[in-house]
Amino acid sequence: MNTLVHVNKNNSSVACWGNRLPRLLTAAALVLAVSGCATYSAGFAKVETDAANRNLDGAVKSLDELKLSGADENLHYLNKGTLLRLQEKYAESNKYLDHAKVLMERLNAISVTEQLASVSVNDTMKAYEGLPNEQLMVYSFEALNYLQLGAVDEAAVEARQFDVKQARIAANNKGAKYLSGAFVRYLNGMVYEAVGERDSARIEMQKAVDGYRAQNAGFPVPQALVTDLKRVTAGAPAASEVTFILHNGLGPSLDEQNIRVQNPNPGNNSPAMFSLAVPKYVKRAVPVDHVVISAAAGNATSEIVEDINAIGERSFNDRLPLIISRGLARMVVKTLAAQEAKKQAGDNAWLKLAADLSTNLSERADTRTWSLMPGNILMARLALPAGIHQITATYYGVNGNVVGTRQFNGIEVKAGKKVFLSDYLMNPPAAAKPAN
Amino acid sequence: MLNKQLWWVVALVAIGTLSGCATEVKRVGVEQVKDLSGNWNDTDSRLVSEEMIRDSMAGGWMDRHQGKTGKVPTVIVGGVRNLSHEHINTRTFVADLERAFVNSGRVDVVASKDERSGIREERKDMDLNATEATRKAAGNEVGADYMLMGTINTIIDAGSSEQIRFYQVDLTLVSTADNRKIWVGQKKIKKDVKEATFR
Repeated sequence: MNTLVHVNKNNSSVACWGNRLPRLLTAAALVLAVSGCATYSAGFAKVETDAANRNLDGAVKSLDELKLSGADENLHYLNKGTLLRLQEKYAESNKYLDHAKVLMERLNAISVTEQLASVSVNDTMKAYEGLPNEQLMVYSFEALNYLQLGAVDEAAVEARQFDVKQARIAANNKGAKYLSGAFVRYLNGMVYEAVGERDSARIEMQKAVDGYRAQNAGFPVPQALVTDLKRVTAGAPAASEVTFILHNGLGPSLDEQNIRVQNPNPGNNSPAMFSLAVPKYVKRAVPVDHVVISAAAGNATSEIVEDINAIGERSFNDRLPLIISRGLARMVVKTLAAQEAKKQAGDNAWLKLAADLSTNLSERADTRTWSLMPGNILMARLALPAGIHQITATYYGVNGNVVGTRQFNGIEVKAGKKVFLSDYLMNPPAAAKPAN
Repeated sequence: MLNKQLWWVVALVAIGTLSGCATEVKRVGVEQVKDLSGNWNDTDSRLVSEEMIRDSMAGGWMDRHQGKTGKVPTVIVGGVRNLSHEHINTRTFVADLERAFVNSGRVDVVASKDERSGIREERKDMDLNATEATRKAAGNEVGADYMLMGTINTIIDAGSSEQIRFYQVDLTLVSTADNRKIWVGQKKIKKDVKEATFR
């Protein structure tokens, strides 16, 4: 190809950009697009695999290597906080979850720059605030961390904060019954009782019962909660017990899919249909059907206390129409911008190609979620006399087969107090086939 | 010409960006009021300290105790329970109050339950390892006449982008002999926190 050399009026020679620039732009657009090809959910697979294989140190390292920052900073805090909790580093876990809470509050304010970027590029340009159900779940994780540290007063602070937050989220999401925070309120009822605030305990337990009924999430109101509410209302004291929480499986993931939608402004070189990249909800099967915790003095079977998969699905279905309409608006804006760029490009085929490429290659679905949330939470409560106990937790799959066990030795139960124990079990991502 | 202008713009942007990269630290006065998040902060703690010190030193309980017993009262710090919506470090204003008591010379303060376990360990160690002349025997601790305890409570009224936060700190001196409350201090703080709509 002939190289065009321009000599400006001042007679200084300029490098021969004339024909090279459009090709460089195209190449740059391609490089940028290809390097950004992997969705968030695809990039997170190694963290999930390490965690599922009980290599939590490896999972933390894999998470750190992702270098989630900027618009994804909150995802780093949420997932790191979860991994530290699973590692039983409760105080450190709360530091990260506190960062997440602070960021969630800050990101509540609208960023004009991010809104513009979302309209002109894609939704991943917006800082990840956390879905409403994720924002509520943070409080339960922090409360459990404090309870497992024996810091009941601090757990009660989380309970009070949750009440303010849940009211605000409910006001902004009227009709979203799944945002009642029933599980968190159930937990908070136990917390308030532990700090001696029996009236608050009763109110929280009643709200939890009401919340479970309103959610209608496909599992019954936990019987242990109903029993507790009757007991607290009657003024009877709490029994000493071991309360076991299992983080069961992995919560929902989002994949990317392309859908075709009609262009509201066809004609004038504008296509009749747009191809939009939107997220696709992927529910992941949980490995444990129920847990039995046993000690010399007896045993107890678990109940489902939170179905994060079900809540995630409802939340996604609520959000999808807005995601699609925002995507459509974005494609209209990008198409108009590309048309203008092509007009300016004149006969330059490379610049015209670059304009088209930038419109399509920048279209990515926002597949970000708090990936390490469990698929559901199981709780088993075993009343035991005060003393030192050896506790065995046995995990049963849906076919009744034992899929795991965990031993807790030297657990001290004090009279009238609860001891909180927890564990997790995940399917490796490849094995956690979509449940839908 | 265009290239030169472009390079100037790039250079200026680079300078502007890079100059914001280093962490900036500026020492400020302890009394300087700076509210960043609306949460409980050092200014709130200082306001509580000042009020509690003023109130407790002006209260007649020290004189009444000295009049009755002929000795200065002895105080031990119990616990200040946080019953609020925030994780608040209560040690800051409690430590200020202890300092004011000790430095006034009108109140003796003894080590709290958490503090004295270390001292008792040291005494046990001395029993085994220190010379008889320097050994400090167990059983000589001074019992407290009064225990300082308290609570922090909050009431939050939250709208969509504004919160009114009300804090109430209550401190009480309770007689260890007969559970009488001989001094009650209180400090209320109210804040109007408006969240940013845009960032």
